[in-house]
Parts: sequence; C-alpha cells; structure tokens
Amino acid sequence: MKPNSAAIFKARPGIRKALLEINHLKKVFHINGSSLNVLDGIDFSVNKGEMICILGRSGCGKSTLLKMLAGFLSFSSGEILLNGKPVENPGPDRCVVFQEDTLFPWLTVEENIAFGLRGRTRDKKAFDEEVERFLSLVGLGEFRNYLPREISGGMKQRVALARVLILKPEVLLMDEPFASLDALSREEMQNLLLSLWETLSHTIIFVTHDVTEAVTLADRILVMAKDPGRIHEDLRVDLPRPRQKEKSDFLFFSRKLYKGLRE
Amino acid sequence: MIKEKNTKLHNSVFQILPWVIPAVFMLVWIIVSETGLIPTYLLPHPVEIGKAGYTYIFRNPGDAPFAGRFLNDAGASLMRVGSGFAFAVIFGLPLGVISGRLALVRKLVSTTINALRAVPGISWLPLAMIWFGIGIKTTVFLVALAAFFPVYLNAAAGAKQVNPLLLQAGAMMGVNRLRGTFAILLPGAMPQIRTGLRLGLGISWAYLVLGELTGVPNGLGAVIMDARMLGRIDIIVVGIIIIAVMGRAGDQLLKTSLKFCFKSARRMP
Repeated sequence: MKPNSAAIFKARPGIRKALLEINHLKKVFHINGSSLNVLDGIDFSVNKGEMICILGRSGCGKSTLLKMLAGFLSFSSGEILLNGKPVENPGPDRCVVFQEDTLFPWLTVEENIAFGLRGRTRDKKAFDEEVERFLSLVGLGEFRNYLPREISGGMKQRVALARVLILKPEVLLMDEPFASLDALSREEMQNLLLSLWETLSHTIIFVTHDVTEAVTLADRILVMAKDPGRIHEDLRVDLPRPRQKEKSDFLFFSRKLYKGLRE
Repeated sequence: MIKEKNTKLHNSVFQILPWVIPAVFMLVWIIVSETGLIPTYLLPHPVEIGKAGYTYIFRNPGDAPFAGRFLNDAGASLMRVGSGFAFAVIFGLPLGVISGRLALVRKLVSTTINALRAVPGISWLPLAMIWFGIGIKTTVFLVALAAFFPVYLNAAAGAKQVNPLLLQAGAMMGVNRLRGTFAILLPGAMPQIRTGLRLGLGISWAYLVLGELTGVPNGLGAVIMDARMLGRIDIIVVGIIIIAVMGRAGDQLLKTSLKFCFKSARRMP
C-alpha cells in the first residue's frame, strides 16, 4: 500500500515547513538624531493551526511586531516569510483584528462582514450563504441590520472577527482585541474565539498584556521583554481545554509568566 | 430621572418649529404696516407684496410691468446657479480629496488656492465682464469661482481626517486603491464633503445675484436690479423672498439627493 503524504508528515514532523517564519527581525526608530532599538532581533516560527500569544508589558514592542507582520510597518532588518514568501504589504492572507473600533460606521453589521468578500466571487448565492454563515458563527444574525454605533463594544469585536474570518486568512493577527471590554464580555469573546478556532482551525497570533488571557488561549506563549524589545521566553502551554483559572496547573503557568514579565 | 420623550408630541413640535420665526416675522411686519410705524415707501404692506408676487408669477406678460416674468427669470437663474455650482464641484471635489490625501499635491496647490480665496468675489466682476462679456458666462464664472473654495476646502479637510485605521483595515482586507477611494475614503469624508457642497450651493445664490446685477435681460438678480431702477420696492422684496425660498429648497434637494445616493450620507449620526 502506498503511504499517503499526510501520514509521512505526521510521522516526521521535522520536514514540515513552518507557515510563518520571523528571522532576526529588527526595528530601529530614529527620533531627533538619536536612535531607539524597539525590536532587537526577533526569531520565531509559527506552525499551521497554532494559537500563539505574544505577552508583554506596554512598550515592549509587541504591537510594533504585529504591525510589521500585518505589513503596516516596515522593519529595519531581518525577514518575515509567509509560506516561504517575504511579507511586504498588507494583504488578506494576514488579517488583523484591531483593539480600536475600525468597523465602517456607514455600513450595517451584515455589510461590514460582507465588505472584504465583495468582488471575490461572482456567485451571488454562494456569497450570501457565506455571509449568512459567518453572521451566525459570531451570533449576530438578529443584529444584521444594526449600525456599529448601535451595538455594544463586544458585538463590534464580533463583527471585526467575522469580517476577517470570512476571508480565510492564513494567519489571523489580533492586537489586544478584547482589552477595552469588561471582564465578562472579554471571557465570552475568549470562548467564542476558541470555539471558532476549533471549527475553522486558523493560525492565530494574539497580542496581549494580560497573563490570564494568554494562559486561557494559547498553545504557546512568547514572553517579550523591553529595552530593547526581544523574546525573553518561549513557553508551551499543554493544558487541556477548556481551562479553568482556579486550577493549580493554570496558576502554575500564570505565576511563571508573571515572574518572566518582571525580569 | 430622565423622562422618556413623548415622541408623538416631540415630532409635531419639530414639524412646527421651522415656521415659528417666519410666522413671528410676518406678524411683526403686518403690525408695523397696519399701524404705519414704518412708511410703505420703505417697506410695503404684506398684501401689496402678495399682489406684486401674484402679478410677477401668475399674470400674463404684458398685462403689467414685471407680469409673468417669473418662469423665465427663475429658469435662467437656476441654469446659471446649476452650471456654476456644477463646475465648482467637478473641479473642487476631486482636487480637494486628492490634496487632502497627498501631501505633495497639497503643498503644490494650497498656497495658490488660499491666496485666491482671499480675493473678494466682487473684485473679479470687472475682469469677468471684460473676459466673458455681459451674460451667462460671466455669471457662471463668478458662481463657479465662489463655490469652488468651500467645496475644495471641506473636501480636503474631510479626506485628511478620515480615520487612518479604516484605510488600514481596508488594506488588510485586500481592498485596492480604487475601491478604497470610493468605498472607504469618500464615505469616511462624507460629513465634511456634504458641508462643503451645502456652503458652496448657498454661496452660489449670492454670486448669482452679483453676476446678474450687470445688466443681463433676465434672471432673479436682474429683476431686482430693474425694480430698483423703477423704484418698485415691492418687486425687490418679491425677488428677495423668491431667492430665499429657492435657496432653501435647493439646500433641501441637495441633502435629500445625497441621502438618496449614498449610504454614508443616509447613515450619518
């Protein structure tokens, strides 16, 4: 019997190339003649389907790093490779969910979700079905005709999530997307993200400063340190999901991360 | 506790509110005319104005001076305002949006435009008459020139202040430049663009009258000028009222058609 290729990959994970590779990435800001090392040699790689949290305090360059992955910001040296190809501009293969409200205020919930998909398919029926599917995936079917200013912050972030997931990005980049929500909404959104991740199996890079959020979500946590910004620790979180914040192994990871952040 | 609004009452009050000032104004006018507080050679009685207006609008030409001129005058004036304003929009809107987004273009044109903007429209009148003669061309030129600046400036300010995150969001969703301009930039700048268009259309009426004061045979400004020469103060007031009504109607038409055509205008907060 001929072995199929998937089986080979499973047997020898070493051959499989990473989806995203970041090599010796540096960013220097020049302000008034003096230069500031914001990121000083970032190296890591991301496999398909991984959920990675980048954890760090304010000013460690984690958002800068995410902006460079998204293609919004140039870097000083190093390289970012997606499927082996260098990343230069923003594109729908690396979608972003921002911390701020960036929905189009003149479009309804439904139109916002459909926005990126428009022009990609000629099949009207398939288009409508797809929009419908993502509306219900984030649980906003009843709010389809509302404008962004008429819905809550948590619902806005659901729309922001749906409008990029519908584009089937290779990597989903999330920049502290739940930071401005209240504790309960944040927890709801984390659960929603996890369940979407399980159904759609995206690759996610999630930037946060919240230790609990990182341990709740991530397969792997990259802890960043500042001055200059660098990766201080690369920690695999092998807890089963759903994770309970009160359990001792959860707390073990939290404590470890707090310690890492303080150093 | 904040009381919930009684929407029905609220709505009917809002229906009446716009007419309160005109009604009070009319009342005061009637009182001062009836009591002779202001002599009629300064301000004719409203009934006289009504009669003059009726003659001007509905009676057959030749029955009396100014009889039946209305359609012809209003048509001519609308034509001039319309084409002057159209020129202002055709040049002002794209140039404004482009210079709002591109620093290079802004640097290139803004000094010149701001210098020209400082010149009062009336100073162009003699020059325009030499260039274009008396008639429609001069008027259209003056209207277009005057309306250009508010349209341009507001479009530039609007395009400049569009939230950059919206444009970034578009870019990461794979929206190209053309679609980004029409689907994100213009809707994002819509509130200011709308303000610019309204100001531009308003000022168009002002410069229409200026352009028509130069001795064109027809138009609302021409009627006012003719009436002044003949000492027909009632017709002057009729002309003023007609311009006010048409200006207000034009503004409403502009707002309504923007709302009809663009989601971003319809859904403005």
